[in-house]
Parts: sequence; structure tokens; C-alpha cells
Amino acid sequence: MTTTRPVDDGTPPIDIRRLTKRFGPLTAVDTLDLTVGSGEIYGLLGPNGAGKSTTIRALMGFVNATSGTAGLLGGTARDLRLRSRVGYVGGDVVLDRGLRAQHLLNWYADLRGGVDPDAVDALCRRLSLDTDRKIGELSTGNRKKVAIVQAFMHRPDVLVLDEPTVGLDPLLQREVLNLVRERRADGCAVLFSSHLLPEVEDIADRVGILREGVLVREDTIASLREEARQRLELRFSDDVAPDLLDGVDGVASAEVDGHTVHVVVDGSVAPLLRRVADRGVDRIVSHDEDLEDIFFDYYQADGGAR
Amino acid sequence: MTTTATTTARRAPAAPGGVLRQMLRERVRSLLWWSIAVGALAAITGGSYPTVKEFGSGFDEMMEQMPEGVSEMLGASSGLVTPDGYLNSQFYSNIFPILLLVFGIMVAAWTVAGAEREGTLEPLLANPVSRTRVALERFAGVAVLLAVLTLVGTGVLAALRGPFELDPLGLNVFAAVGVATFLLALLFASLTFAVGAATGSKGAAIAVGAGLAAATYVVFALSAFVDFFDDLRWTSPWHWFLEPSPLTDGWTPASTLLPLAVIVPAVVIGTAVFARRDLR
Repeated sequence: MTTTRPVDDGTPPIDIRRLTKRFGPLTAVDTLDLTVGSGEIYGLLGPNGAGKSTTIRALMGFVNATSGTAGLLGGTARDLRLRSRVGYVGGDVVLDRGLRAQHLLNWYADLRGGVDPDAVDALCRRLSLDTDRKIGELSTGNRKKVAIVQAFMHRPDVLVLDEPTVGLDPLLQREVLNLVRERRADGCAVLFSSHLLPEVEDIADRVGILREGVLVREDTIASLREEARQRLELRFSDDVAPDLLDGVDGVASAEVDGHTVHVVVDGSVAPLLRRVADRGVDRIVSHDEDLEDIFFDYYQADGGAR
Repeated sequence: MTTTATTTARRAPAAPGGVLRQMLRERVRSLLWWSIAVGALAAITGGSYPTVKEFGSGFDEMMEQMPEGVSEMLGASSGLVTPDGYLNSQFYSNIFPILLLVFGIMVAAWTVAGAEREGTLEPLLANPVSRTRVALERFAGVAVLLAVLTLVGTGVLAALRGPFELDPLGLNVFAAVGVATFLLALLFASLTFAVGAATGSKGAAIAVGAGLAAATYVVFALSAFVDFFDDLRWTSPWHWFLEPSPLTDGWTPASTLLPLAVIVPAVVIGTAVFARRDLR
């Protein structure tokens, strides 16, 4: 279920071609090519300011491309009939604070020409969202839930999600990822920006890494994972010899500090584990939640793919 | 033309008015409070007229001692104790339009620029509604809210003109001055709206709307004393509104057509630029 489904007439639902966006002297996005097919989840990764949000805002028609096109469902987001088939969760969720959540959802449903109320109720129940409260009184996480419900309630054919799980607790993050998977199963094309490795690893079929507006890498999550550096912290029962990890394949750096060693590993950790297997490792802590760290360092170190 | 295997039915575009209805619904409560304030102000002003009239001759003697131009500045060239002179000097040339302006500029600055700044415009525009529709419906919302407030203020005076001894003024005159006041306030609200829609800057929108309202008021008020302003007074909406006053002359082209000649282009240009520019 992770393969791209073929598209009827060959145009992918999200079809970004040579997109460039400049803000004055700053080039936020530089000749970006990116497509997402039906039934595919594309994880867009990159540090803050890499151009993820600008790409998404161009796709949604909030900003105009300086050159190139941000194609959506065979046209652009300016076409209201096409926009009606898109669900969007913005990076900074700000919905009208004075409205009750239920009221906002009704309003948006009305603007969409009506949405099945049962679908809205089911979504609210799944996310345990109390829709009677005013949005301004909700916590960040609950506000995010409102944004997610309004993006999913009309069963869109394209989902554009800018860090949709930020601010949600792990249980709800999982529930949101499930919702995204269910849309994928219905043939929805999903553009999903994030900087959380486990989440993207979990859900994306393909991944693109943006740096300074350039797509420096695009691949399946499996092949990226092989190359990714991992930051591990090994805690031993005794003091560690400083030269313990010398000459181990894949170990890019090792920093010994009493009982603890901080290691950065390129690729597989198998050789490292073999070396430390019988040295009394109490605990292995992985610090690779943050893709920003891993990939940003990685591509900065080797000068990127430009 | 469908490119995806889709489970969703084709949805009809929503009937227009949804953005306007929502805007009004959100403002019912504040409109109620403003209406009470404006209505009370009108009632107090109108209710004081019989007393003022009693002291009538005294006031007019005082006015005659004032330098030329002062009565004009007060919007009371027909004297302070005639019904029209009294209402102009105490209500229609200052406190009433100023209240409407404060309210109108505040709401107009929110419609696009304020909503953009608070971040609510982007999620709204992710729905299948065009920017043009959002802008125009929200400007219509400003017009409706201002119309209600003008109606309350003028309606209280018109309805109670008997007990207030303002009955030399007919309903037609109240209708004329009400419409003219509404258009004066809507004019500056439309400039606020247009600048906000075109630039996305709430600060610039308020600065232009309120700044021009103040500047043109100064031009009008000082035109009787300073030749420089006298040459410019034809540019002031306050001049269009008060010279001659609809309270004295009924429907005047200057108080109705000239504001529209500003409002319509401002709204059209502001909306057109908003439809094309980048959101901030």
C-alpha cells in the first residue's frame, strides 16, 4: 500500500513545476519540481526557512509564483471547484477565536456547500474534540484538532498539511496519521510537511528535503534512512576506554564521557552493536527524532546536492 | 477533467452571503452596545433641545458676537437655536459622524488586513470562496453595520421629533441627513478597507482612514478662517456633507453623489489588488 497509484490522465494531483518564489532579494523557493500522485503521501522536510511553507502557500494560491507553476488537480488553487476538493492545515493554526468550534465548522461546511454532519461528528469523536468551547479558550492542541477536522470533513482528494501534528499528544498524533492513511486509501494525494523523523518515516511514501528553497534530495524513506546519520547515546555499566569505538564501520564521531558515549553513526548501526555487544551496555538512547538535525547537518557537511 | 479516483461527489459552490452572514453574526453583540450608546446620545441631544430653545435669543446674541466663520465651523450657519442649526452643531457635524467613523474604521480595518494579521484569513481562503467574494461581502458587512448605527441615531431623533420640539424638520430631512451621514462614514471606512485590502497592513489602513478623516475635517473647519484651506475645502467630504447641510436643504448632490464617487472606485481598486497580491 505504499506504491504510487497511477493517475488517469497522467497529471498528478499535486504537480509543482519549476516553481520559483522570491520575496524581494530573498529566493524562498528556487525552481522546485515536486509531484504527488493519487494515493501517495509525500513528506516535505527541511529546517525552518527552507521554503516548506512558501511551497505550500504557493500551492494553495496564497502567494503567487514568481515563475513556474504550482499545479493542483489539473489546474490551480485559484479555481474554486478544484479548491473545494482540497483540505488544508496551516502551519500556525489561527481560527476565529471568538467562535465556538462547532460554529466555525458549520460555517466552513456552509462555505463548502454542505458537508455530511455525521462525518464531522465522527471526526470530532475520534479526536475527542469538545466543539462547544470557544476556539480562543482551547489549548493549542485542541485548536489544531479543529483545524484538522475542517481539513478532513469534506473527504478531500488532496490534503495539504503543514506540520499537522505539532502540538498534539502522541496518541492523537497517531490518530491523525491514521486519518491521513485512510484518506490515502481513498486515493487522496497528501503533501505533508514535518521535521519529525519517526512520524515521516512512519507515514510518508516519498520524502523531499528542502534546503534554502532547493530540493536537495528526493527519495523513498527507506533509502534515505540508510544514509541518515543517527545520534546514539550508549550508557555503559563501567567507565569506557577512550579507544573503544575506534575503527568501527559507520561511526562518524564518538565522544566518551565517563560511563556514556555519544556516537554519530552513518548508515547501519550493526558494526557498532557488534563492537559493544559484550561491553556491558545498560541503555541505548536514540536522539534522532529531529530530522532537521540529521539531514541539515548531513547536507550542509557535504555541500548539498546543488 | 477529474484526475483522481475520487469518492467525493462534485460539490456545488456555496450560495453567496456566507461570509457576510458570519461577520454580522459575530458582531451582533457589539452592534447592540454601540446602538444603545448612539441611541442614548441622540435622545439626550434631542431631549435637550426644548431647554436650549427657551434660552434661544441669548444663544443667538452670543453667536453674533463670535468672529465670522465660527458658526460655520460649528455647522450652525442657520443659528444655534433653530432645529437644524442645533442638530448640526451638537450632533451631525461632530459627535455622531465621529462615533460612526471610529466604529466604521475599526471594522473596515479588520475586514481584510486585520483578519490577515490575526491569521484567520488564510484558513478561510482555503475554502472554495474567492478573495473577491470575501472582500466584497465583508465590505458589505461594514456598510450594513454603519447603516444600522446611523438608522438608530437618526431614527431616535426622527421618531421623537414631536416631544423634542424638532418637528419643523420633516421625515424627509431626517432621511436625507441620515443617508448623508452614513455615506460620510462609509467613505472613510471604504478608504480604510481599500488600503488594508491592497496592502495587508492594518496600521496603514487605519492611518489612511483616520488620518484623512481628521485632515479633511481640519480643512473644512478652518476653511472659514484660512484662505489656503478655503481653496481646498472642495476636497473635503465634511464640506460636501455640511455645506449646504441636508438638515437645511434636504437631499443635496454633494452629500450623496460625491461620497459614492469615492467609495465605489476605492472598493473596486482595493478588492482588485487584494485578489491578485500575495497574502502576508
